[in-house]
Amino acid sequence: MTRPIVQVLLQASVTLLLTALATAQQEVTAYTNAHILPGGKPTISNATMVVSGGKILALGGADVKVPDGAKVIDCKGMTITPGLIDASFQSSNNQQDLNEQSEEVTPHLRILDNIDPEDPLFRRARNNGVTAVHIMPGTRNVIGGLGCVIKTYGSDPKSMVIKADASMRIVMGAEPSNGNRAIRGGRVNSMYYRRPTSRMGVIWSVRRAFYDAKEALTKTQGAPGDAPPSPGTQIMMQVLQGKLTAVTTARSEQDLRTALRIAEEFGYETVIDEAQDAYMVADELAKKNAVVMLGAPSAETISGSAAQDGSAPRSGTVAVLASKGIRFVITTGTNPSALPLIREAMFAHRFGLGPQLALDAITIEPAKLLGLDDRIGSLATGKDADFVIWSHNPLDPAAVAVSVHINGMSVSQPR
Amino acid sequence: MNHSLLRIAIVCTTIAIPALGQDLVAIKAKTIHTITGPSIQDGVILLQNGRIKTIAKASDVEIPWSATVIDASDKIVMPTWVLAHSSGGMRGSNESMQNVPWLTVADAIDPASTYFEGMLRNGVGTVHVLPGNNTLLAGSGLVVRPFGRTVEDMTVAANTGMKMSLLARGGSRLQKIREMRRAIAEIREYLANFHREKAEFEKEQAAGAIPEDKKWEKEIDRKKQAAVDLIEKKLKGWLYVPSFAELDEALRMGKDLDLNFVLGANLDEAMPLLTKLKAAVVLDDALEYFETDPETRKEKQYCSAKMLADAGVPFALSLASSGPSSYPWWQFGTCVRNGISRQQALEALTMVPAKMLGLSDQIGSLEVGKLGNIQILTGDPLQATTWVDTVVLEGAVVYERSKDPRLKYLFEAAKKADEPKATSKKDEGK
Repeated sequence: MTRPIVQVLLQASVTLLLTALATAQQEVTAYTNAHILPGGKPTISNATMVVSGGKILALGGADVKVPDGAKVIDCKGMTITPGLIDASFQSSNNQQDLNEQSEEVTPHLRILDNIDPEDPLFRRARNNGVTAVHIMPGTRNVIGGLGCVIKTYGSDPKSMVIKADASMRIVMGAEPSNGNRAIRGGRVNSMYYRRPTSRMGVIWSVRRAFYDAKEALTKTQGAPGDAPPSPGTQIMMQVLQGKLTAVTTARSEQDLRTALRIAEEFGYETVIDEAQDAYMVADELAKKNAVVMLGAPSAETISGSAAQDGSAPRSGTVAVLASKGIRFVITTGTNPSALPLIREAMFAHRFGLGPQLALDAITIEPAKLLGLDDRIGSLATGKDADFVIWSHNPLDPAAVAVSVHINGMSVSQPR
Repeated sequence: MNHSLLRIAIVCTTIAIPALGQDLVAIKAKTIHTITGPSIQDGVILLQNGRIKTIAKASDVEIPWSATVIDASDKIVMPTWVLAHSSGGMRGSNESMQNVPWLTVADAIDPASTYFEGMLRNGVGTVHVLPGNNTLLAGSGLVVRPFGRTVEDMTVAANTGMKMSLLARGGSRLQKIREMRRAIAEIREYLANFHREKAEFEKEQAAGAIPEDKKWEKEIDRKKQAAVDLIEKKLKGWLYVPSFAELDEALRMGKDLDLNFVLGANLDEAMPLLTKLKAAVVLDDALEYFETDPETRKEKQYCSAKMLADAGVPFALSLASSGPSSYPWWQFGTCVRNGISRQQALEALTMVPAKMLGLSDQIGSLEVGKLGNIQILTGDPLQATTWVDTVVLEGAVVYERSKDPRLKYLFEAAKKADEPKATSKKDEGK
């Protein structure tokens, strides 16, 4: 008998809460006197940005009118940039959780099923100005599965998602085969009891998956009663049809060339992740219109020290790419000692990349790459109010994110 | 070979520094940061026989016609950085035996190591090379300049101290502390025995049991000499204290020995103890770390330099041999980001380490009479875009960026990549 009353009360309180949230979002806030780097465009000094309902209402010089009743925040001396986008972000899940070990080709697995909103790395990222991240499955599988783009704030993965199936990860090189050994009886209790065991085997696994998809594509008009293609093959078909971006992780010069070759063989757009040796194959990358995702420029050295998979990350790789007109983004990638994303851009800036290009490589460029530049990655009327207020020029090593906003809401913790 | 060098250095405890440059050198600067005094705009520094002769405004100095002029009139001029503690440039910096106080880094320093090249590229002019952190009583260090073909060429000062470490690799912290106590107790015991035997000898000689012309011939075991010097406070100890957990013991050891502390980053739990540190300390190259509250799961970021600054303890910074913290500007940036003043940050790689090494009358600032260890920078020393253009050590130019073969490709690419003209012409989006 009391149950209905409780229910009504509960419902009422939920409605109240929702209205409270909605009014908070409808509040109009104007950020004035700021130095704004809108992303993809030159700096606006003495700028005003008006935000309401989680979106940007207006942006421009001092001539932008502040609406009546708006809350005004004076940002004198401070710099506003779009919320940063990390196009290759690693959560703190352990390797076991990021890599499905029952098979080496798992295109249909979704990293979205593995996201923990309480992961401290999301908190660290957003405290350092990162408002959206692209997360992919780990690099132990040849084809790891589907990556997603999420905002770095939210109570459950669903509320964080911007794009659920944003990419499919392919891994070249020795990593998927490292340490693998054939199963000879007994229990399969280690991820190392599996194929492939060589670089050749890795590439063959990629090819076979694409062959299956090709075959399935020719059969789609086939006889009634044919079994539908497997979920994995369906994903591979989307890649072949240009509906889904394949991100290929390839580090060394050899693997980069292989990545280009396989992409050409099957006719999909080349996006290469962790492309440490990109400077060695810059001309080929330019010729193929490849997009390069470069992880952790801070780990690069002047003389190119030996790193994973026989690559030699060398300072100034992005400057080389920029000089050849190659599209690129800067990420934190798989390097466990990567610095916060803004500092990685700062290192690229040190090694020859102009300040605007350095910032574009962590804002508008990744947004374009992920097909989300209509919502995030730059500051313009109608876009999501994801932005960062920095103490001053964010490419200064002493700069700090004063406050970080997602959908207009302040989400950063004080230091 | 190196032993003879060391012995000479030990015999003459005063430091004789050979001058590299013999001529008159004049450096014209846009700004001179002297560190100890006010900065000078449009200044000139005159160097003679490797030392600073004059430092003043350009209008107040007449540059002698015979001087070699280095024109940095659009650049920033500063003293070179000083590293109070480093294990770089050695071939094998950790002896796996734990108690080896008789070793010396002079036998492991590789003058051709790219470490020294990198240090020079970053404007470092003085490096105190000490054994690594993995050995209990690890051996003696050497102060070197990162320039020269032999260890002797590079040496600035010897007899600068012994490396000790409380880092427990694979074992427990308590065990390491116990090992350290035992090692020091053994040396004390050895020394006590030595003196007792000598006293007995003298007593017996006085009593006539030993002929009068017989001399006491026993010497301190050479393998023990350095450790004996340490406990007699003739030699400084450089004690690596990995975290807050060993700080208490380190402070206790500091009462009996002449110790400099090299502190790991993780110090937040020992904050009240930090005020007990009386002398300057060296900080590990990692300055920031996260700590999670076990109950609330709230994460907090700490900065070791800030904690020491708050406790009023002067600190020297370290540089890693690779990665972001190998750059002085990044270390300074980390300090300033955490609320430390620019001046205090700059002093942490100049005056503070110079004092710790007992070389503050020679290096660490630009003052008349000090060594001409000078770096010329393209801009503000705290900016990421600043490069070291020229390094002068004791009056001689030892590094020029324009002639640095490893940087050549970098600047060629950078020139081409300059600003938006090169922006994605294939800007089709997706």
